[in-house]
Amino acid sequence: MENLSSKYGKTLNLDKLTSYCPGCGHGTVTRLVAEAIENLGIMERTVSIVGIGCGGFSHHYMDIDAIEATHGRSPSFAIGYKLARPDNIVFTYAGDGDTCAIGLGDLLHAANKGMPITTIMVNNTVFGMTGGQMSPTTLEGQVTTTTVGGRQVPHQGYPLLVPEMMRAMPGVKYLARESVATPKAIRKAKKSIQKAFECQIKGLGYAFVEIIVPCPTGLKMKVKDSYARCGNEMTDYFQPQVFKDETEQNDVA
Amino acid sequence: MKNTEAFAESLARCGVKYHFAYPITPATDVMKRMAVILPNYGGEMMQMESELAVSSALAGAACTGKLVATSSSGPGLTLMHEAIGFMCAAELPCLMIDSMRVGPGDGDILGAQSDYYVATRGGAHGDYHTIVLAPSSGQEIADIVPQGIRLAYKYRTPVLFVIDGVSAQTTESTTLPDYYDYSAEFDTADWAFTGTQDHPKRALITGSYSHQDGFDMNEKLRAKYATIRENEQMWEQDQVEDAELVVAAFGIHGRMCRDLVFKMRAEGKKVGFIRPISLWPFPERAFTALPDSVKNILVVEMNHGQMIDDVRLSVNGRMPVHFLGKTGGDMPMNTLAEMIAEANRILGE
Ligand code: SF4
Repeated sequence: MENLSSKYGKTLNLDKLTSYCPGCGHGTVTRLVAEAIENLGIMERTVSIVGIGCGGFSHHYMDIDAIEATHGRSPSFAIGYKLARPDNIVFTYAGDGDTCAIGLGDLLHAANKGMPITTIMVNNTVFGMTGGQMSPTTLEGQVTTTTVGGRQVPHQGYPLLVPEMMRAMPGVKYLARESVATPKAIRKAKKSIQKAFECQIKGLGYAFVEIIVPCPTGLKMKVKDSYARCGNEMTDYFQPQVFKDETEQNDVA
Repeated sequence: MKNTEAFAESLARCGVKYHFAYPITPATDVMKRMAVILPNYGGEMMQMESELAVSSALAGAACTGKLVATSSSGPGLTLMHEAIGFMCAAELPCLMIDSMRVGPGDGDILGAQSDYYVATRGGAHGDYHTIVLAPSSGQEIADIVPQGIRLAYKYRTPVLFVIDGVSAQTTESTTLPDYYDYSAEFDTADWAFTGTQDHPKRALITGSYSHQDGFDMNEKLRAKYATIRENEQMWEQDQVEDAELVVAAFGIHGRMCRDLVFKMRAEGKKVGFIRPISLWPFPERAFTALPDSVKNILVVEMNHGQMIDDVRLSVNGRMPVHFLGKTGGDMPMNTLAEMIAEANRILGE
């Protein structure tokens, strides 16, 4: 295979075929993360801590040190790592199930601690790897294998708005929600991911980016339809926006 | 000083840089002391929000190759097992202290030895072991911490110190070790996750591997545990050479065995003792080597009988194994008088 690293840089490992399903949003997000690391010149000191689920495979496509944490615990792993090696750049990468179902407690406390670590939460509103069960972010009325009649708010609660929960935390210095629904949205997502890493490089505090993506397999949809849903119902509820950007302030770098 | 504080001082003086913990009686004094002293050694105690977060942060910090520790009690240890199993699979060194209290459930804050099973059998899934060391005094804590660090790094494995809550809170004089970073004796450059500036990409994958990789990982662990079993059994024994009765106990009851044997020998009774120091690997050799003069073994524990299983497995039916145990109540352990009475009863049978 032709080596494309002269075009895409060394962080992205282009020698491997990805295990993501065709049309999966993880492919785009993984590439954006790799490009941010490449652009910032931090590849050699960056460590990825991934969760369990499809997002756990993201590090396979990057030539950086990587640790697969236990279910939901990657933020606490990252806290321990950063304390022991503050000069390294550490980020967590996981889906909505790992990050905000089993891992919500670890996530919010890591955010509130305000240590300079970066979290990428890829939200496709479903448990992809285990075969399409309800996640905390499953939309009202959304059919999954465990909400066969659609998610009922009186029983299963509201789809969880994670950055909104973090907004009041002073330790969170960069906070955004983006999507990969359109090329324009992808360009914005790229910027936010890069900012989230810059926030850490400058030592400012915690940075979090949620990215709304399609999971054609888990949603049992055609790729085209799943992107349409991503650009409509999903982003209607999970509205992309930069909630907080304090990366230009208090620069201690 | 309190023995919990002896733990903290010994850990810090022997090279522990980072300590993660969540408050729980009777282990809390360890983290309190660490919070005060670790900054003097260039380290830090970080209080986490749950024991799940504690053990996960411990694992994250252990990935860097630096020496990390935690301290807790039974209900906390229960929660920590997720990451303990992870660290065993990932072969990460760390030190843990379980100041054991009465259970099950949330139990009582009184001291006990009720965590023997969970310590030696493990509370997480899969085939794994942690090395388990059971000091019985403040001085033994100070003496055994360096050994625990060497074992943790030599075998790249978590090492768990278990101590009953009574001993943990006992105040006694202890000579602490001088500062020396025992972890520096071990080179972590070939495995630590420090970024690719000095090595090609490393990935720590303890799940979602290929079937063959999973098999290879488990076989590697099996061979490691066999080596530890062979080489690292630790115990103290006295007067077993001509004994008719051997008393086996660890921790505080093990310490009391010295007085028991002294008193009963003074009465002409042939009694000896074995005090296991490593609970995993269990010192089987101490029991397989017992002379034919030994007709009975008495196991004394602060629980309903847990280590007794390992004693029975070790003697493999050669002689009867009796049990005396107590847990909870105003006095959560057997007295020396009760131990001697039971030993006399067995000798008189
Ligand atoms: S199941 Fe969904 S999230 Fe997982 S790889 Fe397939 S499309 Fe992507």
